[in-house]
Amino acid sequence: MASEVKLPRLGQGMESGTIVRWLKTEGETVAKGEPLYEIDTDKVTQEVEAEATGVLLKIVVADGEVDVGTTVGVIGAQDEDVSELLAASRGGNGSAPAAAPVPDARALEAEEPSNRLLQGKPSDAETAAPRSSLTPPVAAESRVKASPLARRMARESGVDLAGLTGTGPEGRIVAEDVEDAATRGAARVALESPAAPPAGEVEIVELTSTRRTIARRLTEAWQAPVFQLSVTADASELVATRERLVELVREGETRPTVNDLLTRVVASALARHRPVNAHFVDGKIVRFPGASVGIAVAAPSGLVVPVIRDADRKTVQQIAGARADLVSRARGGKLKLTDLEGGTFTISNLGMYGMEQFVAVLNPPQVAILAVGSIQDRPTARDGELVVAPAMTMTLSCDHRAIDGSEGAEFLRTVKAFVETPALAL
Amino acid sequence: MPELTYREAVRDALAHALRKDDSVFLMGEDIAEMGGSMAVTQGLLEEFGPKRIRNTPISEMAIVGSGIGAAIQGMRPVVEIMYEDFLTLSMEQLVNQAAKHRTMSGGQVKVPLTIRTQGGAGWSPGAQHAQQLEAWFVHVPGLKVVFPSTPEDVRGLLWSSIYDDNPVVFFEHRTLYPLKGEVPTELEPIPLGKARIHREGEDVTVVATGRLVHEALQAAEAAESEGISVEVVDPRTLLPLDEETIIGSVCKTTRCVTAHEAVVRGGFGAELAAIIQQGAFDWLDAPIERVGARFGPLPFAPAMEQWVVPQAADVLEAIRRTVARS
Repeated sequence: MASEVKLPRLGQGMESGTIVRWLKTEGETVAKGEPLYEIDTDKVTQEVEAEATGVLLKIVVADGEVDVGTTVGVIGAQDEDVSELLAASRGGNGSAPAAAPVPDARALEAEEPSNRLLQGKPSDAETAAPRSSLTPPVAAESRVKASPLARRMARESGVDLAGLTGTGPEGRIVAEDVEDAATRGAARVALESPAAPPAGEVEIVELTSTRRTIARRLTEAWQAPVFQLSVTADASELVATRERLVELVREGETRPTVNDLLTRVVASALARHRPVNAHFVDGKIVRFPGASVGIAVAAPSGLVVPVIRDADRKTVQQIAGARADLVSRARGGKLKLTDLEGGTFTISNLGMYGMEQFVAVLNPPQVAILAVGSIQDRPTARDGELVVAPAMTMTLSCDHRAIDGSEGAEFLRTVKAFVETPALAL
Repeated sequence: MPELTYREAVRDALAHALRKDDSVFLMGEDIAEMGGSMAVTQGLLEEFGPKRIRNTPISEMAIVGSGIGAAIQGMRPVVEIMYEDFLTLSMEQLVNQAAKHRTMSGGQVKVPLTIRTQGGAGWSPGAQHAQQLEAWFVHVPGLKVVFPSTPEDVRGLLWSSIYDDNPVVFFEHRTLYPLKGEVPTELEPIPLGKARIHREGEDVTVVATGRLVHEALQAAEAAESEGISVEVVDPRTLLPLDEETIIGSVCKTTRCVTAHEAVVRGGFGAELAAIIQQGAFDWLDAPIERVGARFGPLPFAPAMEQWVVPQAADVLEAIRRTVARS
């Protein structure tokens, strides 16, 4: 009996995924648990494993974005007839399985004139741009919110509203959004046309869905009323403690970094200052008992923030192990959606680039983020004497809707104390 | 150009018509010796005498009814209803008689009657002396409805109303009477059905009537400092309506706020919004916002009255909503 391959929900809040490529071709045998295809969610690119053993009889959606639960392929016995199964899944699948790039599936569409998608009056989103056979007709089902003016402009300029993010109230696409999109399109056309000036200087970068998510979330974060607090800590003890920990590392274990130690002391501070260890969501503040700390990692596809869970209850060595695993997978594009979920706070460190201090943008719904600069020898006054000691400047960005200045300051004071005397964090 | 108050401009138009034309005469409660409860007709009895400046009994139905009779007989009467709230007492004459005769007689009978009245809040007149009821009359085919907001407009439009062969309900706003403004040296008639663009802008059109024209201009000034460019249009005549100017303006700015002192519900703004969405649908970039009074009988207490009737701040808020980003 053939079984359908349906797009799985890989994490909370995942509604759709973009199939990047199939790792198997039609007719190839597949074992349960083998990587079958790759999808790009709005956070990561991830391999999806086969849930059945057999022959990949049909790839229904070769690439493109589809809703969770959509049938994207069929696995079954060699030469098994799957047309009925596919037809049934089309009928039963409210959100419509995808127009398909393969000729057989188009034939199925033709056989089924009652398909309401085909009969219905085309929406503006559809008529806005000629639909390529590769574009799933999902947009026809999910109504795009756009002002009448935006709709007319999209129609006239050939911009597909379904691909735009609205900046009007409640995400409504307004005229300016279409103008922006049309300008981008025009730039692209200009680049492609032979009459265009030498293309060497201009690079148009299409947004990956990770990049789009970064853009959307950080734009959202920018709306919050944020204030910053900065403190400079003497890092002598932190550096010395880290050196002693490195001496204790056993064969095969990861060498802890200063950052790992910092993650640990910040987590301890978070456990003591719950107002900072919180989310602001749906007009409520949600404070967490345990600290799961996100660490900002520059991955090839863009910034990702994998989470070290329960960092306040882990040893520095455990944190180092978890961090090494997450970072290597982030750089290899192998993070899973679950790696990115559940963070209660984020640390962003640009010290390795020599940045002395900087301001980080909130990682919503988290209410605070710590930006850590490099550890540098700096002159400082100690007991009335001018001495040179390693110092580190940390800047805390706080969402003022959830945190008051005094709460942020108390937290940062604790962090400074822990950095200067790491043993206090135990 | 000479400067007149809104009150003087009304009086000036009346005096011009009375001088020019023997068929023009005035009727109303206390308009002769007393010069009207709002002092608009002061001095006219002295110049034109009691036959043409006539006091009436306290019966709005009789005032309008006898005006209709005189108009049918070839006169051009201008009758005054002291407060527009009292128009309710003359509804039978206005709605069932004045508005209907011309069409019911196949054009044999004309009713060139002007019904002047005034209303509006802002001076604690209470619930029965301050309503804005213009929308009621816009609903009646056969009437014309005029609502000027400046001295120049009130003078030119009153002249055109007197010389229109249809019954015209002519609304004046109580708080505008002392408003000063320049007027042309020679009285220039302003045709009914022509809007005036008070201020040009790029981002939002405010279609305002009566007192709210001035509130809208204030709001536009404030919006300007926030980087929002506001166009303010006064239809001046509500029936017939200059749809072309209004829709043209909204097509240009892509956003619209309607503003009047009358309550929002079923107010003239509702009619405007309907006409605009029809005519400018593909140009609208935001829902049309309506500004008007809160839906309740007008309170006497000045603070409460202020809260109920719309002010410049309410118009500004609505302007901001139309250009809002999420």
